[in-house]
Amino acid sequence: MEEFMLTTLEEMEAETAKLLETGQKVGADSWQQRAKNQGSHCKFGEEGTCCRICTMGPCRITPKAPRGICGCDVHGIVGRNFLRFTAGGAATHSDHGREICHTLYLTSEDGNYKVKDPEKLKKIAAEWDIPTENRDIYDIAHEVAETGLMEYGKPFGTQRFLKRAPEKTQEIWKRENIEPRAIDREVSCAMHMTHMGCSSEPEALVRQSLRCGLSDGWGGSMMGTEFSDVMFGTPMPQDTEANLGVMEEDMVNIIVHGHDPSLSEMIVEYSEKPEMIALAKSVGAKGINIAGVCCTSNEVAMRHGIPMAGNFLSQENVVLTGACEAIVVDVQCIFPALGPLSKCFHTKFITTSEIARMPDSDFIHFNSENAGENAEKIVRMAVENFPNRKKDLVYIPKMKQKATVGYSYESIVKTLDTVTNSFVDETGSTRPLIECINSGVIRGAVAMVGCNNPKVRHDYAHIELMKKLLANDIVLVLSGCSAQAAAKAGLMSKEAKKFCGDGLRRVCELADIPPVLHMGSCVDISRMMVLVANMSKDSGWDINKMPVVGCAPEWMSEKAVSIGNYVVATGLDTYLGVYPQTKGSSKVDGLLQGGLKDWVGACYHVELDVDKLGDSIIEGIEAKRTALGI
Amino acid sequence: MATLFERVFKGSDEMVERAVKSLEEVSARYSDDTAVAFPDTAYYLPCIYAMTGEKVTNVGELKNIMGWIQSQMTREKKTHDIFTSGIGTACAAEVIEACKYVDGQTPYDHAPLWGHCTDAEVRELGVPLVTGDIPGFVVLIGSAPSDEEAVATVKSYQTKSIFVFLVGGIIDQVTRMGVQTGFNVRLVPEGYDLWAVSHVISVAVRAALIFGAITPGDYDGIREYTFKRVNAMVNAYEPVDDMTVACGAGAISYGFPVVTNDDNDMWRVPMSLIVQPDTTKFVETSLEARRIKLKVTNVDIPVNYANAFEGEIIRRGDMQIEADGSRKDCLELVRTRELPEVEDHKITLIGPDFDEFEVGAKINLATIVEVAGKKMQTDFESVFERKFHAYINCIEGVMHTGQRDMIRIRVSKSAYEAGFRAKHLGEVLYAKVKGEFDAVVDKCQVTVVTDPEKVTALRKEANEVFDKRDARLLSLTDETVDQFYTCIMCQAFSPSHVCIVTPERLGLCGAVSWLDAKATNELDPSGPCQVVPKTGVIDENLGKWEAVNEAVAKYSQGALDNISLYSIMEDPMTSCGCFECICGIEPFSNGVVIVNREHTGMTPLGMTFSEMASMTGGGVQTPGFMGHGKHFIASKKFMKAEGGVQRIVWLPKALKDQVADKLNATAKELYGIEDFTSMIGDETVAEDPETLVEFLSGVGHPALGLDPLM
Repeated sequence: MEEFMLTTLEEMEAETAKLLETGQKVGADSWQQRAKNQGSHCKFGEEGTCCRICTMGPCRITPKAPRGICGCDVHGIVGRNFLRFTAGGAATHSDHGREICHTLYLTSEDGNYKVKDPEKLKKIAAEWDIPTENRDIYDIAHEVAETGLMEYGKPFGTQRFLKRAPEKTQEIWKRENIEPRAIDREVSCAMHMTHMGCSSEPEALVRQSLRCGLSDGWGGSMMGTEFSDVMFGTPMPQDTEANLGVMEEDMVNIIVHGHDPSLSEMIVEYSEKPEMIALAKSVGAKGINIAGVCCTSNEVAMRHGIPMAGNFLSQENVVLTGACEAIVVDVQCIFPALGPLSKCFHTKFITTSEIARMPDSDFIHFNSENAGENAEKIVRMAVENFPNRKKDLVYIPKMKQKATVGYSYESIVKTLDTVTNSFVDETGSTRPLIECINSGVIRGAVAMVGCNNPKVRHDYAHIELMKKLLANDIVLVLSGCSAQAAAKAGLMSKEAKKFCGDGLRRVCELADIPPVLHMGSCVDISRMMVLVANMSKDSGWDINKMPVVGCAPEWMSEKAVSIGNYVVATGLDTYLGVYPQTKGSSKVDGLLQGGLKDWVGACYHVELDVDKLGDSIIEGIEAKRTALGI
Repeated sequence: MATLFERVFKGSDEMVERAVKSLEEVSARYSDDTAVAFPDTAYYLPCIYAMTGEKVTNVGELKNIMGWIQSQMTREKKTHDIFTSGIGTACAAEVIEACKYVDGQTPYDHAPLWGHCTDAEVRELGVPLVTGDIPGFVVLIGSAPSDEEAVATVKSYQTKSIFVFLVGGIIDQVTRMGVQTGFNVRLVPEGYDLWAVSHVISVAVRAALIFGAITPGDYDGIREYTFKRVNAMVNAYEPVDDMTVACGAGAISYGFPVVTNDDNDMWRVPMSLIVQPDTTKFVETSLEARRIKLKVTNVDIPVNYANAFEGEIIRRGDMQIEADGSRKDCLELVRTRELPEVEDHKITLIGPDFDEFEVGAKINLATIVEVAGKKMQTDFESVFERKFHAYINCIEGVMHTGQRDMIRIRVSKSAYEAGFRAKHLGEVLYAKVKGEFDAVVDKCQVTVVTDPEKVTALRKEANEVFDKRDARLLSLTDETVDQFYTCIMCQAFSPSHVCIVTPERLGLCGAVSWLDAKATNELDPSGPCQVVPKTGVIDENLGKWEAVNEAVAKYSQGALDNISLYSIMEDPMTSCGCFECICGIEPFSNGVVIVNREHTGMTPLGMTFSEMASMTGGGVQTPGFMGHGKHFIASKKFMKAEGGVQRIVWLPKALKDQVADKLNATAKELYGIEDFTSMIGDETVAEDPETLVEFLSGVGHPALGLDPLM
């Protein structure tokens, strides 16, 4: 048997270079070029010391001008910018969650969307005191959806899902006055606080950043995840493949990109219809191949084993293969560059959401009512576009790797059940994982998440950190573009156990898992919150004392900051490989990288050197172990 | 509370300290060149050899190996470090044990302590491990809460056919309770001290070397093999000290879960280190932890039924009754009937039952199993019948030898007192035949006859059947059939070995004849025995066919692409490791020496069975050496390409006697030689090549005049 090898970054970069050559031939632009064109970034922007909140400015803070025109100091300006950044992320994730709530509200027995996991729905209903007995499942769905929608604007009370956290964590939230109220309120409140002439005290601004983040993680995102599972099924482990080699030369390639599974689920469903496949054959293709980019890819990979073509910074590459008939997008993280780029090829760039309208795209508005019809239209468009492919421009890199995906919280527990002993243990808990950590066979866990960022060599930080942590018997749960980085390299293959230390390797063998567990898209970081909450309950350890941390080594978006804030506020130290735009304020930076410990028992750690970042994660985990006496 | 890491490290240090002390004691008395060796093994000190590739043969080398052991005692807080420390602990334990064997000492007398298990003993386990007849091993360490519980636990493992090793106080517990121990009953007391556990690890790692062809010193290869393929488990009774925890880390590194009832400072690790406070649940907990699924045979008899009892010996004094085919008419027979003629599960006794005979009586006994099924073939009758030996032997308190009308069955007093009667033989045969051959046997009935006149009459009838069968078997040659079979039953242990089974060449384990393979294929068409059409002849003399090569390539996963069925020199067939005999070239006489597993003495090649056996096996082709079954010795196809059986120049006497009739017949037929076996040397004639050649010249052995082999 051939020895299992990772796909190296050098191999991936060599293939990217070839694709960029094709790009040059057709006069295409690229993010690599645009990053160069940007030159060095504005220092005021990078450090968060530029205030554009009113038209008296923009004001920039320098030693000569230590205050803005209104008198706000650098800490207030940096803090306001940080809170606005957070609010942008929280609004984005939560609005995604809202869309999902709406879709759930429109589910019906014979509609475009149905309830696929009634058990999960009933479980949530029970948590929310919504009666389920002798009720039609769709009645329950609609009431749960409406209740969920009320979480966005309810006048009183805090988020319902907070009850899922361990009591100790809930007490901390209460004590620190960061229990999130209605989701929209926290975003509005953030905007209000940061308006000209409101808050300039850094502590208050950071505190609201945490509360706003929590409204995302334990509110909007969590609903997004949970209700997606209810409608599309709770992910269970399945095998798929990753990297550009998943695109098929002799098939119609449709790339789904974005975040909302409501679109991609329908595209997948319609691409499998016999009449569509027949249509593909009639135009000379062998069939229809769907592959994903970004978090949409995570969603459909987790539920259908749809292959993953790439992550955030791979999005232009899929078009550059010349073999992409259509790139269908919904919301978030979509380069506007895809419009002009698609025009250099035969590729159809299809936007579907009013949230993300872009020039040079075909807009096919997609909603719950017309989902089926429009999905068919999109698939048909792609298929009919196949004959327009310019054969001499087609180059699909051969590289791809096997990956096992689909580790929702529920499937992690099911997997853990397989290593229990029925004469000793109970099933249905995280205890086997706790035992591994308690005994030291596994040293700890890292939730590795987040984006790509041209400031970091594409995927380098993700992959190098993963290799380092695995070798140190630290298990990884992944989501978002981090997950795809792992999958592309081969780390999500079960064979990647060979990169683990002896302890983690044995755990992988016994539990039959890959060493990095794919937990989903970026909204699915809420799954990680559920996981740590239950680990805390099962172990008796407070979340902020567990040897479990978060890490976003290549992050870039506002969503990432919102996530970071709720992860830290939940009690997990969070390690960043890209500096947040807070460097300009010692107070804000000091809070984020230290002061928060006193509030929530966790804080941020920023380190731009990947190797040192890895070391500090390991040190952090070992320090937590020592404190626990394990 | 000490962490798991602290406990393992402390325990490892203690074991190393003791090893150093043992070595000091030995050094005080013996020089560095004094021999250190376990008896009858080609693998030196197996734990150390397997993990390092170092061949320790004397006191000086034993001292040197301590350097490596100490290098394994790294102290980072990583599982890697507790694993290497654990295996280092096992190796240090082996050093302590090896010190007892310095200068040819025999520290254990097998009464009851066993110590080192020989290579032959390990190889003997090959077939039952492959077939699942021994689903696993367990080592019980320490003392059970009571003698009664110790026995109950041991018996429970035995009835599940798990091979049991004992270390520590439990040895006295079971001997006090009068339980029979020994390798034959698969209950082996190793020693009282913890370091005796190294003899168990030694068995496990030799399985990797012998059956897996893992290179000695391939540290991770050995661990991967044992983890994936050796179903061993450890049960440690409280109190479990640090040294035991350290050994446990070694066991876990090899893939063997540890189950204990000691909750003090114990750190649970799923499927690896399990705290089971209720010691009466050790057996079930352990089996689940090692994911051992048992072949369930529910046999409705008043005594235990398990593989572990197969080797049990019943002495005359313990005997209630005996059926002895050499004194009284006896027989066992399988007949194929039409479906309406058989009433399923009908057990009939004709004649008096066991309680109507006096104690110690010699009785007549016939057991006739009649089967019917749409897919049944008369060729399978002998296949089933040959299994009766194992089926009946697995009854606790019943011993069976021989076959056809030359059988001997003894029923012990204790089995009789437990209520074992004639009809229970029927129950056993019914359950096993129906259970194992359900794909071809739709209905089965058994008749047990003890009426002397009836048995005598039946014997006559049976002999006619046997004669017919023999005639059919004689007509079955490689030339007369148009297909051979693969057998890859061993691949669970020997992943690249493939046997090609032909009518004149049975599987090298001796357990699979062409008819067996045919029946196996019929029972499980996608199973280990696949049809190989005899097509695309390349060289009939060498026994080469294109289809055979294709099959070998396919089923060895590409490890082999070529074999000669009839040659020992050119692309010989590979071995798994559980072969009955090994044959090797003896260059001075131009012939071959064959030695069987049971023979522990020296051969004229200057190697024992174990040493010759270690030259081959694990699915690797080694020209000049070949593993094979005993029955192959008299085959006309035995190294036919090199001149056939006339090349045989030496056999152990016992084996020679066993194969004499058939071998003489073959030599007579092929070369016109009378009494060929009288020309073959044995250990009474020579154990060195010079004396052997002298003897062969004296008797005019034909090999001397043949073309050179090399």
